[in-house]
Amino acid sequence: MFGSKKAILKDGIEVTLQPMVKEDEEALYHFFQTLSEDQLLTLRHDVKDRNVSRDWAAHLNYARVLPILAWIGGEIVGDATLHRISYGWKCHIGIVRCVVAPKYQDIGLATLMLNELVRLAHELGLEKLWAEISLDSVKAIRACRNAGFTCKAVIEGLVKDVRNQNQDILIMVCDIPAFFDRQWDTHNQC
Amino acid sequence: MPRIGIISDVHGNLEALEAVLNAVQADDVESVIHLGDLVGYNANPRECLHLVQERGIASVMGNHDLAILEPQYAEDFNILAYQALHYSERQLSIGDKRFLEDLPRSDLLLGTYLLCHGTPENIGSYILHAFQAKRVFNLLQKSYVGVRACFFGHTHIQRVWMRDERGRVSSPKATNGSMAMENGKLYLVNPGSVGQPRQGDKRAHYLVFDADSGIIQFRAVPYDIGKTQKRIREAGLPEYLALRLEDGV
Repeated sequence: MFGSKKAILKDGIEVTLQPMVKEDEEALYHFFQTLSEDQLLTLRHDVKDRNVSRDWAAHLNYARVLPILAWIGGEIVGDATLHRISYGWKCHIGIVRCVVAPKYQDIGLATLMLNELVRLAHELGLEKLWAEISLDSVKAIRACRNAGFTCKAVIEGLVKDVRNQNQDILIMVCDIPAFFDRQWDTHNQC
Repeated sequence: MPRIGIISDVHGNLEALEAVLNAVQADDVESVIHLGDLVGYNANPRECLHLVQERGIASVMGNHDLAILEPQYAEDFNILAYQALHYSERQLSIGDKRFLEDLPRSDLLLGTYLLCHGTPENIGSYILHAFQAKRVFNLLQKSYVGVRACFFGHTHIQRVWMRDERGRVSSPKATNGSMAMENGKLYLVNPGSVGQPRQGDKRAHYLVFDADSGIIQFRAVPYDIGKTQKRIREAGLPEYLALRLEDGV
């Protein structure tokens, strides 16, 4: 796809980011098969079921959910989504979700995708981004911190892990105007 | 003193630009000024640039215009803007790029009104929130003595920021789309976007400024959005760029 955004990850691998289109269904399904049981449990849908990715591809609605996919060598290796609330007291808040293939973790891909979502959220007029992360997911917390999120709350024992044990959830929030304002001031003086 | 049409952020939307220029003509303005970003997002950057040249519309440089000339600047663009910028870059001739290159980063109108895209000191910075407006007012007082108002674009939202004699910053609402500048106060004024409005109103936005009375009249005109969307899809640009025009976001 022309104009796709490319970046070099920490290990020198080139990754391409682009918004999901309906033709990505098959590749997305294969990506989900690479996820670990722990990762799958954090998702809201049974993505190993082919019908899930088929349904998503058939009913893309960027105004509601904007998915950004990361591609390496013809395979999807990461999926970051910006979920928007169309009405009410939370309509200025976007919810972000991000999942990266185990093989491509720890090389800055999640941070790269989250940064992309922050830029998009700013253009779409959102003021806050909200992320829910397992308190034990040090890598995910680091990625969010690197993308401008700060820790706001811990809800103890809220969710269940694969062993049916209760786990703590960390709420992280990115204040978009403050973060974006700082970013432009430091990088784009003219 | 003249009546001036002030437009911004055309972003390659030919149908919107034509509609606005027709409307501005009916507003009996003496000249039209563009506050930057002729290119990007929509499918007709070249045609818009040529129309601005033909009409002799004075313009300042926008961040998308700059990114055509300095591709590394686009690395900080979001993915939709980035894709559309690559399309724009391929549409423009060397002569078109030279035209963009010659645009000033800021300009002074009638010796009293500053024109810029983002802020007077940074082409890519936004004035969306009070703390950002305060910072620009401080800059005007320090470095632009004698300037009464700054017209800026970039946010795609019609808005006025005002600093009173005591330094209090507010964003007064225009009554029936009109407001008068008062003596002793400083103003930051945004005409909204012609080609991609983001204020929940899908019409093309601009303003008419009467430099004699200091009256600003915010305007919006409908245009053929369906045609613009068709051109976006035919160009292979991201679908969301077509869809967002319907919602004015």
